Amino acid sequence: MIRFLLKGLIRDKSRSLLPLIVVAIGVTLVVFARGYINGIMVDMIEQTARFNTGHVKVTTKAYADNINQAPNDLAILDASNLILKLEDTFPDIDWACRIKFGGLIDVPDEQGETKSQGPAMGIGLDLFSTGSKEALRLNLAKSLVRGNLPTKEGEILLSEDFSQKLGVNSGDMVTLIGSTMGGSMAFYNFSVAGTVRFGNTGLDRGTVIADIRDIQLALDMTDAVGEIIGFFPGGYYNDELAEIVMAKSEKLFVGETGEYSPVMLRLRDQEGLSLYVDLTKSMGTIITFIFMLAMSLVLWNAGLLGGLRRYGEIGVRIAIGEEKGHVYRSMVLESVMVGVAGTIIGTSTGLFLSWLMQTYGLDISEFTKNATTGIMMPNLVRSRITPPDFYIGFIPGVVSTVIGTMLSGIGIYKRKTAQLFKELEA
Amino acid sequence: MKRIVYSLLAIISFLDLNAQNADEILKKVDQNMSSENRVFESTMTINGKRGSRTITSKSYSIGDKKAFTEYLSPAREQGTKMLKLENQLWIYSPSTDRTIQISGHMLRQSVMGSDLSYEDMMDDRKLTDLYSATVNGSENIDGRNTWVLELNAKVTDVAYAKRKIWIDNERYVPLREELFAKSGQLLKQSAMGNIIKIDGRWFPTSIVYKDMLKQGDGTEFKITSIKFNQVIPEYIFTKAALKK
Amino acid sequence: MKLAFKLAFKNLIGAGLRTWLNVIVLSFSFVIIIAAKGILVGWDRQAKNDMADWEIGGGQYWHRNYDPYDAFSLSDAHAPVPPEFKEEIANGNMVPVLITQGTIYPGGRMQPVLIKGIHPKQNLLKLPTQNLDTTVGAIPAIIGANMARANKLQTGDYLTIRWRDANGTFDAAEICITQIFTTNVPTVDLAQVWIPIENLQSMAMLPNEATVFTFRDGNLIRRGDTGEWKLMTFETLVSEVEEMIKTKSAGQAIFYSILLILALLAIFDTQVLSIFRRQKEIGTYVALGYTRGQVVGLFTIEGAMNAILAAVVGAIYGIPFLMWFAKKGISLGVSSAEYGFAIAETMYPVYSGSLIVGTTILVLMATTIVSYWPSRKIAKMNPTEALRGKIQ
Repeated sequence: MIRFLLKGLIRDKSRSLLPLIVVAIGVTLVVFARGYINGIMVDMIEQTARFNTGHVKVTTKAYADNINQAPNDLAILDASNLILKLEDTFPDIDWACRIKFGGLIDVPDEQGETKSQGPAMGIGLDLFSTGSKEALRLNLAKSLVRGNLPTKEGEILLSEDFSQKLGVNSGDMVTLIGSTMGGSMAFYNFSVAGTVRFGNTGLDRGTVIADIRDIQLALDMTDAVGEIIGFFPGGYYNDELAEIVMAKSEKLFVGETGEYSPVMLRLRDQEGLSLYVDLTKSMGTIITFIFMLAMSLVLWNAGLLGGLRRYGEIGVRIAIGEEKGHVYRSMVLESVMVGVAGTIIGTSTGLFLSWLMQTYGLDISEFTKNATTGIMMPNLVRSRITPPDFYIGFIPGVVSTVIGTMLSGIGIYKRKTAQLFKELEA
Repeated sequence: MKRIVYSLLAIISFLDLNAQNADEILKKVDQNMSSENRVFESTMTINGKRGSRTITSKSYSIGDKKAFTEYLSPAREQGTKMLKLENQLWIYSPSTDRTIQISGHMLRQSVMGSDLSYEDMMDDRKLTDLYSATVNGSENIDGRNTWVLELNAKVTDVAYAKRKIWIDNERYVPLREELFAKSGQLLKQSAMGNIIKIDGRWFPTSIVYKDMLKQGDGTEFKITSIKFNQVIPEYIFTKAALKK
Repeated sequence: MKLAFKLAFKNLIGAGLRTWLNVIVLSFSFVIIIAAKGILVGWDRQAKNDMADWEIGGGQYWHRNYDPYDAFSLSDAHAPVPPEFKEEIANGNMVPVLITQGTIYPGGRMQPVLIKGIHPKQNLLKLPTQNLDTTVGAIPAIIGANMARANKLQTGDYLTIRWRDANGTFDAAEICITQIFTTNVPTVDLAQVWIPIENLQSMAMLPNEATVFTFRDGNLIRRGDTGEWKLMTFETLVSEVEEMIKTKSAGQAIFYSILLILALLAIFDTQVLSIFRRQKEIGTYVALGYTRGQVVGLFTIEGAMNAILAAVVGAIYGIPFLMWFAKKGISLGVSSAEYGFAIAETMYPVYSGSLIVGTTILVLMATTIVSYWPSRKIAKMNPTEALRGKIQ
C-alpha cells in the first residue's frame, strides 16, 4: 500500500508537489527562524564574552576584586603553567590570554621629539599563534578601516578616531608609554599596522590592540597575564557547562590560597549578565512556540487545501467503489509521507541556511544606513544551531499536515455516492 | 632636685630654640643638603605587595637646576636616563631610542613604581622661598634632639600646602618630614637615616618614602656613594647626552 | 467597488476554518511585529528619557575644552558662569556642573575618579542631590550603584579623596557617602562622586566656575554657542543610542520577515487553490460583464481582506496582550555599564500610532501582493472554458 501510494505521489506531481513545497518551505522557515532567534538572542552575551568576559575567566582573586581597574600589578604570574593546567583539565575549552592596560601613545616627529600624544586603553591578545582565534573573535579584519592587521611582532592597531587625533598612518612608529607590573614607566615602540573601528565612542577615542607578547615585553610581564579567558566548544555560552567547569576548577585550585591564587569566574557572574542569560533561555522557548504554532496553523491549512484540491479525484474513487474508509486512510497515509518528506527537506534546507548564517553570518550593514561596523558593533548577524533544530520541524511538518488532511478528509464520509456523478459532470 | 635640673634644661633649650630663627635653621640645613655639584650612586628599593625591587642609579647634579640620572640595574632599566633642566624633565629609554618629555599629568606618575612622583623630584625651589617656617617645638627622634618646623605655603603654586620637618639640632639635617594637604590631611611621609659626614657636611644617606594613602611599605632610597664638588662636564646636561 | 468588498468578505467567511487559520497566522505577524518594534521604540525612548532625566536634560552647554573621554582635558575645561545663564540657573532651569579629577583609595589602592559638583537643591536632574544637603562631618557625596559595587562602598562610608586645586596644590578631605543611587545612565555613575558644587568650587579654587551646563528647555531657537560655551543639542548627545537602535532594528527585521513570510505562504497557497477551484465562478463573472482586470481585482481584494480580518483578530487578543506587555516590560538585567550609555534593566515597549499604522500598511501591502500574484493567472484564462469549469 505504502509503495503504491508513494508511486502515486511521485508520479502525480499535482498531488504531491505543491503540498510538499509548502511543507518544506514552512519547515525551512521554522528551523531557520529558530536558529536565527537563538543567534541574535545570544549575540549580546557572546559579544560581551568575546570582548571582555569570555565564557569563563581565570584571574587572581585580588585582580577579580578590582577587575574594573585592570590592575596588572595583581596579574597572574607563571601563567604558562596555569594554562597548561587548564588545558589539561579542560581540553575542550579554548583558552586565551589577555592583558588590559592603560597608557599613553606618543608620536614622534622627524627629530624624535613628541609630536602628539594621547591617553589610551589597550588590549594585548594572542594575534600570531597558529590556531589562535582571537583576531577572528574580535572581528578585527572586518573592523579594519585602514592598513592591515598586525602580522609580526611590534605592530599595533589603533582605533581610527584615535589615529586621526594623533595624526598617524599605518607604517608610522609610535611609542607606548605605560606602566610595568612593578609600576615603573615603560616604553615600547610599535609600528602602526592599521586602524580599526569599535563602534563605541569611548573605545574609538583611544584604544590600541597589540599582540600579547609585545605587551608582556612592554610592561615587564614575562609569563604574566591579566586574564585567561575560556571559550566553550561550539562557541556559545552554556550555563550548565559553566557550572561543571566551576566545580572542576574548585578542585583544580584547591590548596591555592591567598590574594594571588587563581579564581574562576563564569560569564554569568560578570557584568551583571545573569538575568540576561536566563532570559535568553526563556525567550528562545517562547519564540519557538510561537513559530511552531504559526507553522502548525499554516500546514493545517495546507492539509485542508490538499484535501480540497483532490475533491474530484476522491469523488471518482468513491464512485468506482472504493471504500470511504480506505480512501480516507490512504489520504492520511499520503499526508504522512508528504509531511515526513517535506519536513526532511525543510529541516535540511533550514539547517543548511542556518549553518550558512552561523558560519558566515549576514552582513546587515547594508540595511543600516551609515551605521558603523566595528568590534563592538558587529555588522554580522549570526544564527545558532541547537539540537532541537533537528527535530522541531516534525511537529508542524508532519503532525499539522496530517491533522489538516484528517479534518478535510472527514468530508469524504459526508459525500453521497448518488450525487457524485452529478458533481463530476460539471 | 633632679627634676628641677631637667626642667631648667628644658627651659634653656626652649629659649635657645626661640633664639634660633626658623629661617636660619632652614638656611643651615640648606648648607648641608645642597651643594655646587655632586655625584652619587644610589639604590632604590620599592616594597610592593608582591615583593620588592631594587633599582640602582648614578646621578650628577649641579646646583638645584640641573640633574642627570642614569639607571644601572636591573637589566630592564639599565641605560634609562633622566635629565632635568630647570622645570623640564626628559626620559630617554634605550629600548625605544626615544627621548620623551615628562610633562603635565605624566609628572604625577610614580618614579619607577615608587611612592615618589616625578613631580616630587621636580620642585627645586628653595623651601624658604615657598614656605614661611615656624619652630613648633622640639622632639626626640631615635636619641637625637630635633626642632619641629612647621612650614606653611606662602605662594599658591606648591604641591603641598603644609610640611612638617624634624631637624637635628646639632647636625642640621632633616630626620623626618611630613607632607600635608591643604585640609591638613597627611599625604606623604619620609624618614631619613644613616647620617654621615662627608667633606665637612652632614648628609642623610637613606630615606624611606611613604605615600600615606596607599597600601604598601614605602620606598627606601639609599645613597651608596656620594662625592661633592666634582668636575662634571657640561655636556652631560644636554638632551644629546641622553642618547649616548 | 463596494460590491467587490462585500463579495470578497462573504467568500472569505464562507471558506470557514481555512480562512480563520490564515487570519490567525497573519494576526500573529501583526502582534509580533508590533511587540518587537515596540520594544525597540520603548528602548529608544527610555534610553533617551533616562539620559535626559539623569544627565542631559533638554541639552547641554560644554566648555569648549571639555572632552568627556579625556580626563586630562578637565584642568582646562572650566570657566566662570556667564552672565547670560544666571537667570536661567536662578529659575532652576539650568544646572551648572563643575568637574575635576580626583583620587580615592578604596582598600589602599589608588583609583582615579571624577569629582562632579552640583547644586544640592537642583531638581532638573534625577540625581538625589537633596542628600548632599546634610551635615555629616565630612563633605557629603552621592555615588551610583555601579561605582559603589566596584569599590565596595556603602551608604555612611567615609573615605579620603585627594585632588589638586587650580594651582596644583594637593588637597585631601573626607567625604561621606550619603546616598547610593541606581541609574541606567553609566555616565553619571562609573568612577565618579557627586558633591555640592560650592564645596568643589572652593576645594578647587574655582569660585563660581563650571564645566557643563544642563538646561531644561529643549527649545533651541534662542540657543547657540556663546563665548566659551559650546551648545550640545539633545540630538547630538543621544546620537549613539540612535545608532545602536538602528542596528538592532535591522537584525529584528529579519526575524519578523520570516514570520510574515510564513503567513503569506499560507495565503498564497489558499489563493492558488481558490483560483484553481473557482474557475466556474471566474467564468461567471466574466460572463456577467466583469472585465478580467476586475475579476483579478476581486480575487486580490479577497486575499488582501485576510489582512484586514487579521488586524481585527489580532486586535482582539493583541490589544490586551500588548497592553499587559507594555505594563510588565521585558527584563534584560544587562548592566548598562557595559555599553557606555543608558540601557534599562527592564524595557517597556511603546506602541506609537505610526508603528501600528505602519505595520498595518506593511502587512496589507504584502498580503495584497501575494494575493495578486496567483490571481494574474485569471487574466490568461479563456472565459468560456472557465465557465465550463475546465481546468486550464
